[in-house]
Amino acid sequence: MSVQQGTLARRARKRMGIDKRRSLEAYIFLIPWLIGICVFFAYPIFVSVRLSFSKITSFKGLITEWVGLSNYEYIFFWDINFVPTFLQVVYDTLLNTPLCMVFSLVIAILINRKMVGRGFFRTAFFIPVLLGSGYIMKQLLGMGVDGTTITTGIMVPKLISDLIGPNITTVVQGFLDRITVVLWKSGVQIVLFLAGLQGISGSLYEAAKVDGATEWEMFWKITLPMITPIILMNMVYTIVAFFTDGTNPMVDYIKKVNFTNQQYEYGAAMSWIYFIFALVLCLACILLMRRHVYDSGSKN
Amino acid sequence: MTAKAVYKPRRFKFRLRRLSFSRFMLYLLLTALVVIAGLPLFAMVCRSLMPLDELYIYPPRLIVHRPTLRNFSDLLTSLSSSTVPFTRYIFNSLFTTVVTVLASVMVCCMGAYGLVKHKPAGSGVIFAVVVAALSFSTHVTQIPNYLVVNGLGLVNSYWALIIPKIAVAYNFFLVKQFCEQLPDSILEAARIDGAKEFRVFWTIAMPLLKPAWTTLAVFSFVNNWNDYFSPLIFISSNALKTLPLALQTLSGGAGVVARAGTVGAATFLTTLPSILVFAIMRGKVMETMSFSGIKS
Repeated sequence: MSVQQGTLARRARKRMGIDKRRSLEAYIFLIPWLIGICVFFAYPIFVSVRLSFSKITSFKGLITEWVGLSNYEYIFFWDINFVPTFLQVVYDTLLNTPLCMVFSLVIAILINRKMVGRGFFRTAFFIPVLLGSGYIMKQLLGMGVDGTTITTGIMVPKLISDLIGPNITTVVQGFLDRITVVLWKSGVQIVLFLAGLQGISGSLYEAAKVDGATEWEMFWKITLPMITPIILMNMVYTIVAFFTDGTNPMVDYIKKVNFTNQQYEYGAAMSWIYFIFALVLCLACILLMRRHVYDSGSKN
Repeated sequence: MTAKAVYKPRRFKFRLRRLSFSRFMLYLLLTALVVIAGLPLFAMVCRSLMPLDELYIYPPRLIVHRPTLRNFSDLLTSLSSSTVPFTRYIFNSLFTTVVTVLASVMVCCMGAYGLVKHKPAGSGVIFAVVVAALSFSTHVTQIPNYLVVNGLGLVNSYWALIIPKIAVAYNFFLVKQFCEQLPDSILEAARIDGAKEFRVFWTIAMPLLKPAWTTLAVFSFVNNWNDYFSPLIFISSNALKTLPLALQTLSGGAGVVARAGTVGAATFLTTLPSILVFAIMRGKVMETMSFSGIKS
């Protein structure tokens, strides 16, 4: 930078005042990210909304024609696959999310105790996250969690299954399978809960202990209320994670419509219904829990 | 860093006498759960070592009885015999992933730093966009995304796999959470000493944010490395395919049955780098995850 330019810039800065100058600096820092998010997120979203209300008349250059709600109409009234798949995913999510919450909370509490090998356990529960939700996980699930292979590890022993009869065995086995899948997908939740648990001040527990509270009481009166913000956050995270998972039948179906059948406008409409449902579910969670979430107020 | 200083004074008392029944049960339960959590990993390793007849045995086996390395040599020959050598896929994956991670870390850290520490006009709007973007599935915007990439003329090049994945909302969010805990006074002191804004960012903020961006790097690495969807869409040339995509072509099409073992081996090889990266960064990542703990 030459001397003259330098002085010019300095003069300009003086004129701008400190607030504006800092804003400008901030935007210089933000520009690469903003460009990225506009080009690869905001604009595609805009196109996708428009696409879902139109009909493609020519694939060359993707010329579209506005048709209003007819894509959505088709989805609900004509498509025989959408509604059942959708309900299946909703059912799975509604069942898996609470299970995942309870499960990861229990594990987090267990490995939050002072014990030998705490670090090892923490890492071990996080490992399935590494396998991602992409192709690898699909392979593993395809190997038969829902069938037999992998869960043979925790198959109901024959002696017990003879005792309780086939009906209950199926239920129990289904439950075990579900737990396995849930456990593989709750690595992040466990870590987040751990963080929350460590954030609770030890003096609370000490005070409770002095007053003669049992561990059980302490859980309900201290631990649970204190981590409600984390529960809420985890819940939203879990719902989003289950919904956007690559192994999800609905995502599969949308992909099929988009890429195999090449009905882009139809696929877009479907993704929007799907996405909006997830959003509504998250919002419902937030609203329902708002009254119960403990607000630490001015913590610092 | 400060987090460590907080952890240290925690007194670590372990008395063997206290190994009571309940404690024993706790270990037993945790071990059982760890076994379940580790099953996919274990199954994967076993499957990559299984000879063909064991793969299709009924009832299916989890543990390999006669381990063999044939699957790996098969993998190399079957992939190499086509026009592109197997190592090329590894290079493709490695190159795109590493460049994406580096660029993403840089861009997201800069953005988050600017947003948090300068509080520009409109920062509220930007943050709202980030949160909205967090809950979006990439599948919603896949087609328009393709159009954009196509319009930029990036299809069928490495850049198609790199550029769209640099500005990621999740990464931004993570760094932003951390930036908020950076003390302003240090930055201010540097400014008074005459450091230019970028220098403040690079020599003061970045080292302090190290736990955040190492975690980010690990996550970003794992995600990008495992991603087979974007190469599936953006890449048609065989020579530019990444490892997961090559894997998928391997497991589909003719001769699937004969290649089940090969697929197992390939799956294993694909997962290996993620596990290695995590193993190296383990301490950092766990610390960050719990530290960020979305503490605010």
